[in-house]
Amino acid sequence: MTNFLKEITVRSREQISACFQCYRCTNGCPVAERMDIYPHRIMRYIQLGEREKVLSSKGLWECLMCNTCSIRCPNDIDVARVFETLRKVASEEGVTADDRIWGFDRLFLESIRHHGRLYELGTILNYKLQKKEFFKDAKMGITMMLKGRMGILPHRVKDKRHIKEVFERIKRR
Amino acid sequence: MFVLSYYPGCSLKTSSSFYEASIKDVLSFYDIDLKEIDDWSCCGASAAIALDDLLCHSLPARNLAIAEAEGYHLICPCPACYQRLRITNEKMRTDRSLMDEVNDVIAPLSCLGSIEVKNIIEVITDHVGLERVAGGIRYDLSSITVVPYYGCVLTRSQRIRPFDDTEDPVSMDNIISATGASVLTWQYKMECCGAGKTITDKDATLRHSSGIMDMALRIGADAIVTPCPLCQLNLDLLPLMGRKKETIPVIFITEVLEMAISGVIRGSKSHIIPVDNLLTKVKKIKL
Repeated sequence: MTNFLKEITVRSREQISACFQCYRCTNGCPVAERMDIYPHRIMRYIQLGEREKVLSSKGLWECLMCNTCSIRCPNDIDVARVFETLRKVASEEGVTADDRIWGFDRLFLESIRHHGRLYELGTILNYKLQKKEFFKDAKMGITMMLKGRMGILPHRVKDKRHIKEVFERIKRR
Repeated sequence: MFVLSYYPGCSLKTSSSFYEASIKDVLSFYDIDLKEIDDWSCCGASAAIALDDLLCHSLPARNLAIAEAEGYHLICPCPACYQRLRITNEKMRTDRSLMDEVNDVIAPLSCLGSIEVKNIIEVITDHVGLERVAGGIRYDLSSITVVPYYGCVLTRSQRIRPFDDTEDPVSMDNIISATGASVLTWQYKMECCGAGKTITDKDATLRHSSGIMDMALRIGADAIVTPCPLCQLNLDLLPLMGRKKETIPVIFITEVLEMAISGVIRGSKSHIIPVDNLLTKVKKIKL
């Protein structure tokens, strides 16, 4: 077993060595055409220990997490979960090809830590500030507000202390 | 009166508050009372699972724990929240060490996985029943043709018994048929709309949602029917995302029932793609 296969198997808790290259994950993937390395090939490269090749793949960040690959895998490998694990490892090692998704996810969780619920407008504005694209999609946002589909103020849980505790206990582990 | 605990999730309080109103209206018509979980919090959505293995169960478990204490089964209309809550609920039942770990995090609350988590389609099918749906019709929807659009996560949870077929669900088709509207068969029932990419990569959502809209138009649908607030929003935003081609309304499953029961869609003003043309096809049944 290669070290890389072991690492990703342990972290994802998925039996990647069971993959026998049936192509079903790639065949069902709605974004396969945009991937530099197809999903079934990613699985194979993990088995072969091609660490650098896999972690620097831009395709990892194209995944929509729609789970089609996972439910179709004849060997019950949660392929989407493996992709998620690869994103984690890639991001930890700073080889992230695209940090837009996680940049947003981090702001999303920050919003939950503060309010207990997602403050949509605040999170989106923070993201836009970070990406310096403040005026992009402004029209879309304004129309949504006019249609009552974007709150101006955050809605919060009452027991904010409990939410903070949950986040802190996880951090302390 | 049948009572269910209700987990709204963030969307049903903001971007899709008219969906919440529609669900409450329709279910109360069938004598189902929804008791919103006291002080619920976000389920963590796709962000928590991407970033932390324990947080992604702790956030849903906090809500499940509150619901368990109230003692009713839980309805969770947003498919994304439904997926997160159901996975955690199942894990609490089957993975004892994870349950202990999660309960340490959410103390003084504690979650055992003792209640059922259901989505809106399940609740209508199981607790209303197709006969009562058909029996409650006051308006004729027979000149409306729709495509059922389930979205990608509703039945696609690995290792959890899905409530309907993983690849070709039919339960929402059956509900729509029971209202008298025509349902078209198509292969895009579970095609991904682009989901959360709308903010980080708008073009991805535009591509995927546009593909779904194109197919619905090509086979002659008058509307797309979905149970998912994110799918509804992404498809509804198409004209604002830069789609120049024709669009048809994207309505919630409960809005189909609203039309059959009262002939109107109360939240019609919240729709970005207008639903007026659809409503002109609804005719009062003379009793």
